[in-house]
Amino acid sequence: MIECTHVYKRYKSGTNALYDINMKVEQGEFVYIIGPTGSGKSTLIKLLDGEEAPTKGDVKVVGINVGKLKAGQIPIYRRNIGVVFQDYRLLPTKTVFENISYALEVINMRKAQVKKRTNEVMEVVSLIDKGNSFPKELSGGQQQRVAIARAIANRPKVLIADEPTGNLDPGKSDEIMDLLEKINDAYGTTILMVTHDLTLVNKHRKRTIVLEHGHIVADLPEGGYVRHDQ
Amino acid sequence: MISRPIREGFRGVGRHWAMAISAAIAVTVTLIIISIFLIFTFHLQKFTRSFEQQLHIYASVDYDYESAEKEEKIKEQISEISGVADIVYHDKDEEYQYYLDHYKDERVREFMTTYSAGVNPMHDAFYVEAAQGSQIKDIADQVKEIEGVFEVTYGGQSTVDIVRVLENVRKFGAILVAALSLLAIFLIQNTIKLTISAREDEIRIMRNVGATNGFIRAPFVWEGIIIGFLGALLPIGLTYWVYQLSYEASGGVIFSQMFQMEAPFPFLYYLCGILLLVGIIVGLLGSWFSVNKQLRWRR
Repeated sequence: MIECTHVYKRYKSGTNALYDINMKVEQGEFVYIIGPTGSGKSTLIKLLDGEEAPTKGDVKVVGINVGKLKAGQIPIYRRNIGVVFQDYRLLPTKTVFENISYALEVINMRKAQVKKRTNEVMEVVSLIDKGNSFPKELSGGQQQRVAIARAIANRPKVLIADEPTGNLDPGKSDEIMDLLEKINDAYGTTILMVTHDLTLVNKHRKRTIVLEHGHIVADLPEGGYVRHDQ
Repeated sequence: MISRPIREGFRGVGRHWAMAISAAIAVTVTLIIISIFLIFTFHLQKFTRSFEQQLHIYASVDYDYESAEKEEKIKEQISEISGVADIVYHDKDEEYQYYLDHYKDERVREFMTTYSAGVNPMHDAFYVEAAQGSQIKDIADQVKEIEGVFEVTYGGQSTVDIVRVLENVRKFGAILVAALSLLAIFLIQNTIKLTISAREDEIRIMRNVGATNGFIRAPFVWEGIIIGFLGALLPIGLTYWVYQLSYEASGGVIFSQMFQMEAPFPFLYYLCGILLLVGIIVGLLGSWFSVNKQLRWRR
């Protein structure tokens, strides 16, 4: 589902962000990417969602070689994946319903279908009563739920979550994790989650890939305990 | 599918009403200025043209050529000169009457009436109108060469100078309006650009969820059109009301009969149409270029 083969990324500024990254994530897997600041986590996410192209190597997501896509093809590619960010990235002047349905409108889904699907995912993230609220009227946890609902609205095969709990307290972080696990189980969505919250990683144990200085230094199978020095 | 961008455009204006109002005010202010200058330049053109139309070349016919056949030949030759717009023929009696009517000086009138006993000293004459004031001298020179033409007058160098000045005034007016319009477009575009730049994040998020450039751009362009339309309403209202009021108050005459205002209709319909069109086009282009700037990205 996600495959990186000998991926290197060097920015124009000269910074080497990733060195020879090789990893494979199968369909339905839930994988953490952890590592300290500057380890290359964000760059990896940017390569996966098409924001950046690798300097060398292949990044394949749902069978598409993302690095080879032209700028104009990126929006179409992004319809195959869902992305959730730490800062939620909701459209401030759109209601919860509109934020979610926007992701369906861009794929030209029929109006009745948009309404049905939006209500469905609002139900999944337990925000059915907040459809007419604007993002600023919601708590951080609720905003992240809206972002997740938007990301899964068109039923992507892959969900990439970049520090989705970074702005939340532990209680809310658990709620978000429960929600992501529910999506992973119910829809078989492959989830790749970047985090530096080891408490969370150890509480909800999954396969964990550790990045450091742009290298993969460990690929721990599900069920293992991640130490703070890893 | 077409209704979505329009609906979203209206929604965008409503939800970003403060920014929309500020952009619409920029449109309003600049369109008011454009309206004033359009009226000013239009009338400047009208006055100078009407002044030029009153400039005639006077060509008198030699006494020996005062027969219908010969004069017809002269008229034909004059009409063949390029730039001649109109030729009016006055026989010597009409010329005589004209002098009597126009010279208020008693001594001149007395002098003229001494000829009334059957001898008319005047010549038959052609009054030649040039299509453009700047051609007067050239036409006069060519008329002078025609056989049977006794004398040609057109006011001489001073007329040519006046015509040249009027032409420059017209050009200056047109340049002024064009420059002002460009400035207005630039100002409005900048204001719209600021309102769209403030929504850079919004555009980035739209891209993140897979919206194509066209999908993102369309509602913003409609917002620009709506802002341009709203901004044009006040200048249109003001132009319509103030012009009509001034026309009624002045009776359509400024200073003298020579300077007449254009009748309000259909002039105001055209003017208001232009203002509306400028508002809408500027709004459209302003938002188009501003969004495009945000949408341009490379990996």
